[in-house]
Amino acid sequence: MNGRRREPRVIDADVCVIGAGAGGAVAAAELAEGGMRVVVLEQGPRHDADRFSARPLEMLARLYRDGGQTTTLGTPPILLPLGRGLGGTTLVNSGTCFRTPPHVLARWRDEFGLGALADEAALDPCFARVEEALSIAEVTPELAGKNAAVARRGAEALGWSHGFLRRNARGCVGSGVCAFGCPTSAKQHVGITYVPRAEAAGAQVIAGADVRHVLVERGQARGVEARLREGGRLEVRAPTVIVACGTIHTPLLLARSGLGRDSGQLGHNLALHPATGAFALMDELVDMAKGVPQSFYIDEFASEGIMFEGVAGPPSYAAMALPLSGRRHAAAMASYRNLAMFGLMVSDRSRGSVRGLAGRPVIRYELQEEDVARFRSGLARMAELFRAAGAREVYLPLPNGVAPERARARDLKLMAFHPLGTARADARPQHGVVDSDLQLHGVRGAYVADGSVVPSSLGVNPQLTIMALATRLAFGLLGRDVPQPAKPGRARARAV
Amino acid sequence: MRKPADPVRRGLDVFVDAAPQPQRSGMRLLIALERRPRGRRLLARTHAIDQLANGLVAMGHYEDPVNAVPLGWDADAIAARGRALRREESRL
Repeated sequence: MNGRRREPRVIDADVCVIGAGAGGAVAAAELAEGGMRVVVLEQGPRHDADRFSARPLEMLARLYRDGGQTTTLGTPPILLPLGRGLGGTTLVNSGTCFRTPPHVLARWRDEFGLGALADEAALDPCFARVEEALSIAEVTPELAGKNAAVARRGAEALGWSHGFLRRNARGCVGSGVCAFGCPTSAKQHVGITYVPRAEAAGAQVIAGADVRHVLVERGQARGVEARLREGGRLEVRAPTVIVACGTIHTPLLLARSGLGRDSGQLGHNLALHPATGAFALMDELVDMAKGVPQSFYIDEFASEGIMFEGVAGPPSYAAMALPLSGRRHAAAMASYRNLAMFGLMVSDRSRGSVRGLAGRPVIRYELQEEDVARFRSGLARMAELFRAAGAREVYLPLPNGVAPERARARDLKLMAFHPLGTARADARPQHGVVDSDLQLHGVRGAYVADGSVVPSSLGVNPQLTIMALATRLAFGLLGRDVPQPAKPGRARARAV
Repeated sequence: MRKPADPVRRGLDVFVDAAPQPQRSGMRLLIALERRPRGRRLLARTHAIDQLANGLVAMGHYEDPVNAVPLGWDADAIAARGRALRREESRL
């Protein structure tokens, strides 16, 4: 050996996509099908559904970054599970699909100058195209299961607006483990839909490729450098680079590459949709994990930034989430089959940040008083909902003796599933990282297509928004209109 | 010779091993305390830590089929049904 570094393997392409999650996989498939030479580099592995065991602990370790234990620093600390591998977080999310609410698009136009990006008529065919590709449809009451039936009964008794959620699923039998790897592959995550489409159209999809830098020369993207899991380096030479590593990791890659920093916004404006879950002990048999865990929503308080959505899981998941300890925990778990569970999500005004430290993300997020107030109100209503449904006991995620109206930030037990905004779009270069076309301000050919560009909280699950924006970006790069869908567009559920 | 770990510990160990530092060390400490009476008394002084430690150990406990199946959850059967349906319909 002469001590010299081995020359990297080099691939030439029209487009290099970094990340095979909701944004990257969609953009890659559309571009490859449109005739471009596409290379997709995914840091995580390619998962084999034959190894999905329906055991939460094992699957958390395998399908999630850091075993699903990514946590924010702040009060309260918030668990932020992120998917890892082909499919990204779509592999492990609940499958809920909402279009971007019109009032959110209006805010993007008015506050961020994103008239072109937030054009509802122009986005409509993008949404419709994704909805068709992912077989998005409303859950039936039978498939929703008894956990949803409890919430529905409560909502109906109280006269609260509600409905069954729309999901990207086909042939679902209600295995109850959407978040732990769907054993039937019924959930149409992008790892089994858009990624195979991209490959069929000639895209090279390389798993285990850790992109270290985006290469830019004289204000023009030139490609990327990556390290390969099996050893060695890879250089993809491409005049177009799409960064889609997700809201937490995209700002780290851009910062490492010396890109996107001019506005001072990179890594800032992190919104999370913090969420929590409550339990109720019912007289009836619920078997919460039988059926679709997230199948039902209550949007009565959407205008206040509070959304209720179903959540449920197998005994080990419930045991972790149950807000009890000692004998009370054991007694409640002995009645697991009679436990119902439901979730509460807040459209947050609090904002956090992410930065890299020794190669890892450090995520800071302090829950502001107005969001704490939303949780107070939401938890009180959650108790009301369960009581209206006939609950014998309600277990709120608060310390013993703390009533919802007296809860402080540090009393809350929160998780979050929808990080957004750390490379936000804004038409003005001094206020945002990317423009209306999702191109980095000041760099030709470098784009971002993931939750990081979303400039505000959505109040609803973001995967469909991210996929529609990626569709728009891909057709923009192809210089073509997004085809009108074969089927007419659908009515939109009321949302925050 | 060390005895092989029981399935409950194995599942929990895999989960804890996947965590980044310093959470990994923190969780190991919490689990060790939760498994001892004196440790439990110590944990009980802080609500959030107590629930976290209790939840971690309970998660391992209920992952074990011996404890999950009587509660109506048979993970092996769910996974086997999934594999069969995927094969039947030639799904990925």
